[in-house]
Order: sequence, then structure tokens, then C-alpha cells
Amino acid sequence: MEALRAEHLDKRYGQGDTEVWALRDVALTLNAGEIVALLGPSGAGKSTLVKILGLVTTASDGDLWLQGERVLERGKPVTDVGALRRNHLGFVFQKANLIPFLTARQNVELACEIGERYSPRARAKELLTYLDLEHRADAYPNTLSGGEQQRVAIARALANQPALILADEPTAALDSIRGRSVMELLRRVAHEQNTSVLVVTHDHRALDVFDGTFEMEDGRLSTKRNHVGA
Amino acid sequence: MNLAVHDMRHNWGRFLATSAAIGLLFTVVLAMAGIYQGLVDDATVLLDRMSADLWVVQKGTRGPFADPSRLDPTVQLRLASVPGVTRARAFTHQVLQRDHHGRQLRFALVGLSLPEDHGETLPLVAGRALGQTHGEIIADASLKLSVGEKVTLGRDDYRVVGLTRQVLSSGGDAVMFASLVDSQRIVAAESSDSLIAERARRLARLRATDLGRSQPALEALTDDPRWLSPAVAAPPIHAVLLTVPAVHVAQVQATLARWTDIEVWSRADQDRLVLQGMVEKARMQLGLFAVILVLTSSLLLAAVLYNLTLEKKHDIAVLKLLGARRARIAGLVLQQAWVIALIAYLVALAIGSQAFPHFPRRVVLTDTSVMGVGMLLFAISTLASVLGVVYALRIDPGPVLEG
Repeated sequence: MEALRAEHLDKRYGQGDTEVWALRDVALTLNAGEIVALLGPSGAGKSTLVKILGLVTTASDGDLWLQGERVLERGKPVTDVGALRRNHLGFVFQKANLIPFLTARQNVELACEIGERYSPRARAKELLTYLDLEHRADAYPNTLSGGEQQRVAIARALANQPALILADEPTAALDSIRGRSVMELLRRVAHEQNTSVLVVTHDHRALDVFDGTFEMEDGRLSTKRNHVGA
Repeated sequence: MNLAVHDMRHNWGRFLATSAAIGLLFTVVLAMAGIYQGLVDDATVLLDRMSADLWVVQKGTRGPFADPSRLDPTVQLRLASVPGVTRARAFTHQVLQRDHHGRQLRFALVGLSLPEDHGETLPLVAGRALGQTHGEIIADASLKLSVGEKVTLGRDDYRVVGLTRQVLSSGGDAVMFASLVDSQRIVAAESSDSLIAERARRLARLRATDLGRSQPALEALTDDPRWLSPAVAAPPIHAVLLTVPAVHVAQVQATLARWTDIEVWSRADQDRLVLQGMVEKARMQLGLFAVILVLTSSLLLAAVLYNLTLEKKHDIAVLKLLGARRARIAGLVLQQAWVIALIAYLVALAIGSQAFPHFPRRVVLTDTSVMGVGMLLFAISTLASVLGVVYALRIDPGPVLEG
């Protein structure tokens, strides 16, 4: 089943002689339950693409569908962006970006409350157990290790059973062992929760956890290369 | 989940310190309101306590508080015979500062004309009213005298027979009541040396005249009180207080308006004279000071709330990415502003209730001023948080994605 489809996405900054193309005619499709890596050098346009897919910024042109519903038409949102983020999207960042004055459990509960889909307490307990974090549920972010913080961030991203999780270099701040552990966790989430996961990464050592990869260069996206047996 | 409360509970020390600092500022605002009300109350409390319907003073003056007034004591007798007047009491009022066992007593000395007025209408909290025309005083408790204590005033000792509470003159000084005769004696008391010097000056003046030189027997009269020169003549009174039934007030006023040596003021007139003449400038001063203080506090509060929002920029961006509604984000800023305002208000009330009684001038907190400062704080915190809310709603969550 198709979780996300993008066609002819362009992003331009400036006009005339100063015009810069951050994205050029990008097209991609992500299926439910697959985890895909987005590779490319700095400045290739990876973060811009993730921001557009996450409805954080608009595109200059192009169309986007989430779970079959058109959400961008000619680059502009055609529906309530807040509701889409609440119901269809989850984010994991380089830093966990947990709310510092809430415990791990409360961070997940907050996302559930915002999504208004599940009972916050029960869903948070379920997810923290699923991610083996139950024993750290009442810890504040500053007392969690980097790996634990990223797992809480993943739990928060999963709170409302999103169709798509966008992860922007989620292992950049972790050592290789913890980084790989987080990547494997994302793969598990994708396969077990039937959620599509797009991961921006520079870490080529963990490419084996992905079902496929895209490469970006100068705003252009390569065709998806599927990893057989991944 | 109330994010504002969670944030404050997690960082309670900082929030409490911030709220306390704002509370201290508003303690001063509360004090301004209280001092103003105290000024008004102090200015009119003696008018209240004297329970007079009409105040008769020297012609052309606005006495006895806003303007000096001198009346011949016989005016009291003339006024007592006016139809409609049920009681006429002589009244003197003088601010004095005397030493009492090494302590400075500053007070307004009010003379009561016994037997018409023993001070029975005064709010006595201990002791009794004046029982005799000499040697007794009623003092306000703020002078820290006790019933039975002796106080030397002028050349005589006076015994405190009663204590009042919060009976102050328009200048905020505690009031001491004595009989009219005693009050005049206390004010006019001179030392033996100055009496001898005055007698010598009087004799010299007499001897400088042809009459004095030709009639030496006249010198014997210089010691006779009936011939005293104006410098030591029977002191005048400052006003006569009339008790007049309400139905006769207009008629008595009309009668007295024809008298050429007196001026008649109603109780309402006296309130106006005292408040406009004596308190107006202080009121404006306090008012302007309060306005500057409120503006300063508002700007500080706005800066504090704006900074609190700036510090949460990252968290607000995350909330936006999670799809939080605008009301939740605005609520985070607003609710914190209100909680800070509430704590600041309670701090201001707590500090005020403990500190204000020790202020040298009376600070009167009325329900209106207490509620008013609360409403002001609520309004200022709401307005001040608008900047923060606008900023929060404009935060671009994009940079958060970029780490």
C-alpha cells in the first residue's frame, strides 16, 4: 500500500540571476511498512525535501499525497497542515528534541493528547514497553542517555500511528553501536507497525537495515534502489 | 496535560524568584494605592470624629485645617443662642512636638470644650472620656502612651485617661485631646524667664509713655491678667463646631451667612477643603509615581514573559511539528503569565500585610484597591504575554528539523 507519493516537487529560492534550485522535479513513492534511506552530500537538498514532505515548508511546485490524500497541489497545502502532522506524520531528529520539563512518559502522552486518537496514558505505556523503556518512563530527558532519548523520540513519533516517520540524521549524535541500535529499532518499527520510515543519513555502515535507498545530488533524486534481502 | 504547570513545577525555583520579583514591584504599587487612601482617610478622620454638622471659622478663611483661623471665644456663646443650633463647641487644633522621657512625641492637640464635649463620641479603645477640665488627656494609641501615664506638657503634668485608635490629623499626626482650657494653656506655656522678660518689656513700654511716667501706680496693672498685652492675651479658639438637626442646617447657614465676622462650612465643604487643598498635590504625586511604576512593571513583566517564550522556542517548534493547535501554544504562554501574575499578587499581598503596618504613614488597603491591583496585574500580564504569544505562533519549526 502506498504511504506517500510525491511528483514533480520543485523548490526554488530567489529569482532571476540569483535563483537557486534546492529541489528539481523530485518524485518518490514510499510504501507502508518500508524503511528507506535518503543519502547525499551536504547541500544536496535532503533536509529541504524532508521539510516539504513533513509539511514544514511549502514547495515551489509539485504534488504530494499521504495515504492517498492529496496534501500539496502545485506546491501549496490543500488541507489543514496541523491535522496532517497530528494524524499522519511523525518526526525524529538528530537531537531527540524532547520537551525538557516533561518525563519520558509525559513526552509520549503529550503527542497522544495532541493527536486525540488514543488514550494518552495507555498508549504511552504500550509504546514505552514496546521500545523497552518502561523502566525509564518517569525520567526527565536530561537524565536519559542519548540512545534512550532517541528511543523516547521514536515512541513519541509513533504515538498516533503515523503513516510516515521522517527521521533527519537520527544517529548523528550517537556512537556507532547506539546508532546502529536506533536504526534497527526504526526498521523494527517500520515492519511491525506498518509505518513508512524515511531516514536522512550519512552513515553508510548501517545501510543494510534499509529496504531501499535514494540518493540526492544538486536537488535531484535518484531512482530508489531496493536492497534485496535486507 | 497543562504544559505551563509542568514547566513551572520543573523549574519552580526560577519561576518563584521571577514571580517574587514582580510581586515586590506590585507591593510598591499596592503601597502607593494604600498610602493615597491613607492620606484621604487621615485627612478626614478627625472631621468624622468631631461629629459636627457645621464648622464656624474666622471670616475669609477656610480653617481650621486648610487655613489658620482665629475666633474670639465669645463667638461660641453667640452661636449657641442661634435658633436651630442644639450644641456649640469651641475647638482648637495645634500641631506640637514635645519630648517625653527622651522620646519625641509629635501630635495634633485638639481642645474639647467641656462640659459640652467630653470626647464621648471618640472611638475609645481603653480608658474613658475626659472627666474634668484640667489635667486629663486622651491620646491616640499610636503615641504609645498607656492609660494612667503622666505626660508633662508646658508647665503642667497631664494624665492619660483614654486611648483612641487611628484618630489622626490631616497631616497624619496622632491626635491628643485635652480640655479647651488645657490645650490653650499647653500651647501658650512659656518659661518663667520668658514671662519675666515679657513683664520687663511691658513695663519698659509703659514707662516710655507720658501716661506711664505721670502715673507710676499704673505699673501695678502690668501683672493683672485683665490688662495683659495681646502677646499673652487669652488665646483665641480656632473654630466652633455646631450640632444642628438636618432640617435646620440650611436655615442656620442662611442666618450665619449674614454675620460679618465668621465663615460657615458644612461637613461636606470641610471634606472638600481638606482633600483638595491639602491632599491634592500629594495625591497627584502618588498618582504619577504609581503610573510610572505600573508602566515600568508592565515593561518588565512583558520582557520577562517574552524571554520565557524565547527560551521555549525549541519546545514550541517541537509542539508545532507534533501538530499542536494554536490555542495550546498560546495557552502555554498565557497560562504561565497568569500564574506568575497570581503568585506575584499573593507575594505583594503577603509582604504588604506584614510591612505596611510598620510604615510611618498609614497605609489603608481597601477592598477596591486590593481588587484593583489584582485586576491591573491580570490585565498587564495578559497584555504583556501578547508579545510572547505572537512570537510563539510565528516560530518556524523548520530549523528544529535541521538540528
